[in-house]
Amino acid sequence: MVAADAGVIEMSNSSRKNNRSVSATLAAATCALLGTGVPAPVDAQEEPQWDFNTSLLYYGEDGDRVQDASLKSIIRRLFSDDRSVSIGFTVDALTGATPSGAIRQDTAQTFTRPSGNSAYSVPAGDLPLDDTFRDTRVALTANWQQPAGEKGLLSLGMSTSKEYDYFHLGLNANYAHDFNNRNTTLSAGIAMARDSIEAVGGAPTPLSPMLDVGDVSNRSGDQDKDVMDVVLGVSQVISRDLVMQVNYSYSFADGYLNNPYKVLSLVDGETGDTLPRTTPLPPDGGPSGQFLFENRPDERTQHSLYTQAKYNMDGKVLDLSYRYMTDDWEIDSHTVDVRYRWPIGSRSYLEPHVRFYTQSEAEFYRLSLDSSQDLPAFASSDYRLGNFDAVTAGLKYGWKTRNGNDMSLRVEWYTQSGTVPGDQLIGNQAKRDNYPDLNALIVQFSYRFSR
Amino acid sequence: MMMKRILSALMLLAACAGCSTMGVEPWDRDVLAREDMQLIADPLEAATDDHIYFSKEASSGGRRFGGGGCGCN
Repeated sequence: MVAADAGVIEMSNSSRKNNRSVSATLAAATCALLGTGVPAPVDAQEEPQWDFNTSLLYYGEDGDRVQDASLKSIIRRLFSDDRSVSIGFTVDALTGATPSGAIRQDTAQTFTRPSGNSAYSVPAGDLPLDDTFRDTRVALTANWQQPAGEKGLLSLGMSTSKEYDYFHLGLNANYAHDFNNRNTTLSAGIAMARDSIEAVGGAPTPLSPMLDVGDVSNRSGDQDKDVMDVVLGVSQVISRDLVMQVNYSYSFADGYLNNPYKVLSLVDGETGDTLPRTTPLPPDGGPSGQFLFENRPDERTQHSLYTQAKYNMDGKVLDLSYRYMTDDWEIDSHTVDVRYRWPIGSRSYLEPHVRFYTQSEAEFYRLSLDSSQDLPAFASSDYRLGNFDAVTAGLKYGWKTRNGNDMSLRVEWYTQSGTVPGDQLIGNQAKRDNYPDLNALIVQFSYRFSR
Repeated sequence: MMMKRILSALMLLAACAGCSTMGVEPWDRDVLAREDMQLIADPLEAATDDHIYFSKEASSGGRRFGGGGCGCN
């Protein structure tokens, strides 16, 4: 078969026109002899293809905190010549309670809800959680990808999402260029976003007190922020079994960066206990103590360095990555992520996953505000700006169905445990559990098929 | 000072030369072409994780754009 083909090529070089039919006849004759049938002519342009990737996710935090049921789908249409368009769609149904930012007390506490329409109470000794958190989030992404020249790949995308109190709109572009026999790829991308924060009840004046039910005099209208991300990357094939990537990312956010629902307790400089309210509680209710809405700087610059390696070891794949992030809020973080994909037979695999994360607190992170001192310009007790470590441990099982589609199920546990810097603890605070540790279960089922 | 500059330039050159000798020929890409050897092997899982950690931690992005687009509480 090979020899016959080689002969055909030689002949077609000498007299192209006549030999077309000769080559076809020869090929047909060879195939007939071998009983394999005439091969279909190979088309330079491949047939268009669809790729459907859908998942159902459950994310649940213990202690009646955030629960999320999410449906996510990415549909990709592949055209000839490496052009493709993909559309992503996500719906999240969120419920549960989230820490309000106030500290625990030895007595019961009451708070005005973010809407300003009613109040809720928290038992003595409990972490104050705002239980009015209920939202539906719908997100859409669209991405177009096409070759740019012989060695370039250009992609353009947009993203938008809507929640009850939030709207996001973003555009992004990325260019990747191959060098060195396609063993080295340099890429540069930029993403710009404008987000609008439509806080329930209106955005509160920063560092103003939580007011009684029905009083929204310290609230204002919608706020917005702009975010720009730049990512520069290089990926390098090291050997037949090893590929590596290094990315530098720059992110600049400008505008309203507060969380409009988070407060800080204003405390006594000696006892560390929340100052009680100064006026009698009105019939409709209000805060039992003095709580001030948080305030963050209106700019944030982040730099991160990300490196990843994928290594094939006789069919098993080790995926290792590390990220260092530093920002001008003085948060530094380190993330190590390890996945090991272990084939079981030819149709399924197991993939254990561990991730370690640690971050230092923002310079304006405060557990509470000391009433015996001047108020700082910026303060937040949001636990996500605190000093904490997080661990994720999980296992994924993936398998191919009889008709060649991919399914996978992963179960993971995510835990956060943090500490408040010792010099921030005042009086009675030292004997309390101040950091709202978090434990979450993540279950995701994915289904992927191509047509 | 000058020596330092020359040394850095030489080191940079050496690094670039190193890159150009690394890698494989096109016919040796069978393993690298496998889906499980892609840098982002499961885009949906990657997007999910980016969103979860963006919502719960003060760092985001790195492997690609920072994500976001949520008023995560």
